[in-house]
Amino acid sequence: MKTPILKTMAACAGIYFFAATAASPALAVESVKVTVNGMVCAFCAQGIEKGLMGMPAAKLVFVDLKKKVVAVEAKDGQKLDPQKITAEITDAGYDVVKLETVQLSVADIKAAAKAQK
Amino acid sequence: MKRLFTSLAFMASACAQAGPMGFNGSTMAMGDFSPNWQEAWVNHAVTPRDAFGAGGVVMRSDDRRSASQVSRTFSELTYTRLLHRVNGEHSQANFWFVGGAGRLTGHDFDGGKTMLAPGVSADYETTRFYVSASVRLYRAPGINHDFVSARTGFSFYEADYDEVQPWLVVEARRMRGLSEKTEITPLLRLIHKRYFVELGVNSMRQARANFMYIF
Repeated sequence: MKTPILKTMAACAGIYFFAATAASPALAVESVKVTVNGMVCAFCAQGIEKGLMGMPAAKLVFVDLKKKVVAVEAKDGQKLDPQKITAEITDAGYDVVKLETVQLSVADIKAAAKAQK
Repeated sequence: MKRLFTSLAFMASACAQAGPMGFNGSTMAMGDFSPNWQEAWVNHAVTPRDAFGAGGVVMRSDDRRSASQVSRTFSELTYTRLLHRVNGEHSQANFWFVGGAGRLTGHDFDGGKTMLAPGVSADYETTRFYVSASVRLYRAPGINHDFVSARTGFSFYEADYDEVQPWLVVEARRMRGLSEKTEITPLLRLIHKRYFVELGVNSMRQARANFMYIF
């Protein structure tokens, strides 16, 4: 008799944990996409990439040179600061013309960019 | 016949695509090698606009069998400044100052002389095209080796950041006091993230290789 009850309790706990995890914004994948003017060569992109990777909340950076887009993914449970990202890129000598926060990973953004080419 | 001394291209001409300095906190190493010209330098960017470095060049004129062959060795400390940048949607234009000071030795005088070498350059580039021009004065007591160069090139195709991008570049350069000829060099350039290499043959049929690497 005990086994079905334990199984039911475990299933309920699992469902609760899954729901709580999915609903938690802190654990959702979040990235910031930035359109950058002046980023025309690999050396330019390298400086931007290195600067952004130096930010404590940054997990991954993807550079799309053709579209002049840089994507930064936040570390799990951390939040990216758009103002700091803008400052980092501007200080490096480039202009930020558009910035948006998206619920996508850098891998997703990279895959989408590759698919469009 | 006395031929052209290859140039004091230094930072401005060899690195137009990437600029004569790297990003803030980076160290850039560069070399330019041909039979009459061996050069290497390194600089470190202390801000996004300022870099300090050191370099040296050994150069000679092309008339090796002649008693009038000119030779020079110049060691310098350099300061590079990004004076102004204009960012476009698909382009970038830069204006640079490069200043150097160091010791010059030569076959035709004893000891060394202090040489000052201020210069300016400008470049405009997109992902497929670029053009640049630079002027640098090389002055020491009784010596004037002022230098001018121009470059233009195009990329065969637009590349992603993680791909190697090939370019065809043509450079014209000239140095006062060493030759009255202008050296023309077509170069194949490969650029990828941290490195940059150029291979070519100049108008005197001499092989030339440049490289640049950012740490």
